[in-house]
Amino acid sequence: MAAMAALAPSPSTATAVGLAAQRSSSSSRPTPAAATTTAAFGHTPSAQGKSRGSRSSSSSSSSSSSLEVSSCSSQRLVAGLGFQLSELLASSSSALSSSSSSPSSSLSSARRIPRRRSQGSAGAGGVSVVAASEPREVLIVNTNGGGHAVIGFHLAKALRSSGHGVTFLTVGEEASDKMKKPPFNRLAELREIGVATVWGDPSAVGAVVGSKQFDVVIDNNGKDMEAVQPVADWAKASGATQFLFVSSAGIYKTSDEPPHVEGDAVKESAGHAVVERYLASLFENWSSFRPQYITGSGNNKDCEEWFFDRIVRDRPVPIPGSGVQVTNIGFAPDMANMLALAVDKPEAASGIIFNCVSDRAVTFDGLVRLCAKAAGKEAKIVHYNPEAVGVEAKKAFPFRNMHFYAEPRAATEKLGWTPSGELGQILKERYQDYVASGRDKKDISFPIDDKIIEALKQPALAV
Amino acid sequence: MAVLAGSMRAVAGGLSLGHVSQGSEAASPCSRSCPLPLSSFTTFDGLSPERTLSDASPSKSWKRRGTQNGWESCNCGGISRRQGSRGVVARSVLPSFPQKVDQKTKQRGISAAAGPVAATEPKKILMLGGTRFIGVFLARLLTQAGHEVTLLTRGKSPIAKQLPGEADEDFAEYSSKIKHLKADRSDVPTVKALLEGSGFQVVYDINGREASDTEHILDSLSGLEQYIFCSSAGVYMKSDLLPHREIDAGDPKSRHKGKLDTETLLQSRGVNWTSIRPVYIYGPLNYNPVEEWFFHRLKAGRPIPIPSSGLQITQLGHVKDLAEAFVLALGNEKAIGQIYNISGDKYVTFDGIARACAEAMDLPAPEIVHYNPKDFDFGKKKAFPLRDQHFFTSIEKAKQDLGWVPKFSLVDGLRDSYELDFGRGTYRKEHDFSVDDEILEKVRQRTAIPA
Repeated sequence: MAAMAALAPSPSTATAVGLAAQRSSSSSRPTPAAATTTAAFGHTPSAQGKSRGSRSSSSSSSSSSSLEVSSCSSQRLVAGLGFQLSELLASSSSALSSSSSSPSSSLSSARRIPRRRSQGSAGAGGVSVVAASEPREVLIVNTNGGGHAVIGFHLAKALRSSGHGVTFLTVGEEASDKMKKPPFNRLAELREIGVATVWGDPSAVGAVVGSKQFDVVIDNNGKDMEAVQPVADWAKASGATQFLFVSSAGIYKTSDEPPHVEGDAVKESAGHAVVERYLASLFENWSSFRPQYITGSGNNKDCEEWFFDRIVRDRPVPIPGSGVQVTNIGFAPDMANMLALAVDKPEAASGIIFNCVSDRAVTFDGLVRLCAKAAGKEAKIVHYNPEAVGVEAKKAFPFRNMHFYAEPRAATEKLGWTPSGELGQILKERYQDYVASGRDKKDISFPIDDKIIEALKQPALAV
Repeated sequence: MAVLAGSMRAVAGGLSLGHVSQGSEAASPCSRSCPLPLSSFTTFDGLSPERTLSDASPSKSWKRRGTQNGWESCNCGGISRRQGSRGVVARSVLPSFPQKVDQKTKQRGISAAAGPVAATEPKKILMLGGTRFIGVFLARLLTQAGHEVTLLTRGKSPIAKQLPGEADEDFAEYSSKIKHLKADRSDVPTVKALLEGSGFQVVYDINGREASDTEHILDSLSGLEQYIFCSSAGVYMKSDLLPHREIDAGDPKSRHKGKLDTETLLQSRGVNWTSIRPVYIYGPLNYNPVEEWFFHRLKAGRPIPIPSSGLQITQLGHVKDLAEAFVLALGNEKAIGQIYNISGDKYVTFDGIARACAEAMDLPAPEIVHYNPKDFDFGKKKAFPLRDQHFFTSIEKAKQDLGWVPKFSLVDGLRDSYELDFGRGTYRKEHDFSVDDEILEKVRQRTAIPA
């Protein structure tokens, strides 16, 4: 049951199961050796012939049965050890039956998934297309902080549950203080399910992964060419055929006509936009995922916590402006699922931009109400004009003080993506985690809130 | 030829209305309604993308992308065909021949048909209503598609009235084909006598309000193949989570409760029913002063008073797009027992509507004055034509099931409405700025700097 503890089940695990089940049903695929492989990863096969998609929270067992997913057995051997993957595989390569064994580079001697070419998959000009649903080798280059970090965490899990091989490269150093914060303090959960966790500099990916071959490279790190170009160039040179980029919905130009829909005009000079154009020029198969705000277990950045902090202490929640501004809070496992679907269905995702957001938007006032409901409390909202009160909207409130609203139309249409649940339910689970962490008891001060509330006592400033 | 045949089938279901270009050679039908922003068009074969709207605003002109067998194709992937002096009557979003699809088009998925166009054999259709707004356009589409359409009305309005911009011969053909049954639909015995044994296969119920309006209609029509009902997005319960989707709860207290009851009745009867829920409908002949309210003020050069923040988000849908959706539901197996939100592809803020109307009239952006409606009591007078809340729906289900996509962007659609109606000096309600004056006076007092 050690594996159970390592998985640190949170209420969101149940959602993840549902998610994985949804992915398994949406991407019907033949499941080779389902029984043996899933046993090794603590999965139970959902049904005969169904994919390995359903994650269950039942116990895992170490199985040394031969696995079709590359690097799996080596991951099992090194589970819990934080060594650099290259070192480990050098020592364990002899234990693997490998068709290509090059003594020097460790990763290349790791078992490579033999590619099965399905009938008639060769495209015009003899280019063979990797059919969707084949297990693939995926590298995630993940930021070491900020709102996006949690996406990569759940993505690694989602990809594993579909049977893909996953290497998770966190930017920076393993010994860094940043690794003490979620989701990095939970990377053992990834190792438990066979993800190779490594650390390094995005400008030198090759140095970390050696000559290991990846089918898919996912950049969940960079905001501009400086950070992403080296990763993209390396991916291209090393033969990756699909590149996914976690971009930002913040690049959309503001408009009188919400929502932001894929294809709408963006700020051309924005770092993410420049990267997207570069990727389009470099890769045949590339996709971009534009998130807004993110919630979910393992989040590196506050989202709903800002609201819970006030609600749980019976403080009024100061909301700038009218409170009808609409925003979008994405659920990290759902967002991860979107990227995972793109890996499962490369042809469907090729060349497409995806808004990586929830399928429902919420108003600021509505969000307070939902958070209050999750906490079993009454919402107390006060509206204020930041300028009139003399506070910076950016510091006073966690979201952009305007309509910021994208819809996940491309993902729904092209990937068959659906969310796992709605925000009210998600916030209930988040609230349980909030309380479990003890944050509700922490002594917090609210200097900006106090300034706002004080100012509102003057009748002229009441909105 | 197979390709052309396929596109002809598509045309039958995808007939378009009123892109009435007055014989301008360079006019492309797609240009008026293509949802792709102009900036997204790439050059093709050295032709530069510009847009023609009508001879009324000849400043922009569209260049054709290519011609094959008389069918023109646009960069958006749509095809169209000229017919006589009417300009263009047909449009389809199905690409008719292999063409390079630029990145943005691919992204939008415009050229990928979402589903097969429902091409059916000619039906005997009964339309309840059909002389005022939606039905006027819908009846024409159905007639053009070869169906026999009968309007059941009290006869207070002419059965067929020539549309602004409608060619004489088209109107002549329509008036010769459209049929009429004179009755008040709530007059149960008369309706029963008229409908029993009538052989109507399909009903388009455009003006039903309460379930009681519909019950006897269902009773009288044995052999009814499909009942297509015009409901309303007004049935949705107000929610913090948006957009409204068809699966969302209805509001038993809404003033559109009758529509909800009718849907329930249809469901209980086991008939093949489809319900269409529009949001705010606009377009030429609109009797609800939506765009008209803004046009009046913009024409008078007056500021536009908008309640609260002006950030309330709503959704306008062009009546012609709505009519096309109604047609695509006909004989569509996917639509059996289904509800569809039908409106524009994008939503819009209240402030945004004011600006879009100004753009449609080729006027500069207006002065907008916000006010707190709680500071006023206007009695029975309405200060603003739209409900003061977020009110918009997802139309993705209809896109998926019906293969329908709205052709009018907001500004283009408002332009169509303006050029064919208000801009010609016609409107339903005389302007009344008394409420505006009351608002402006109070707001200006409040913001006036004391001496």
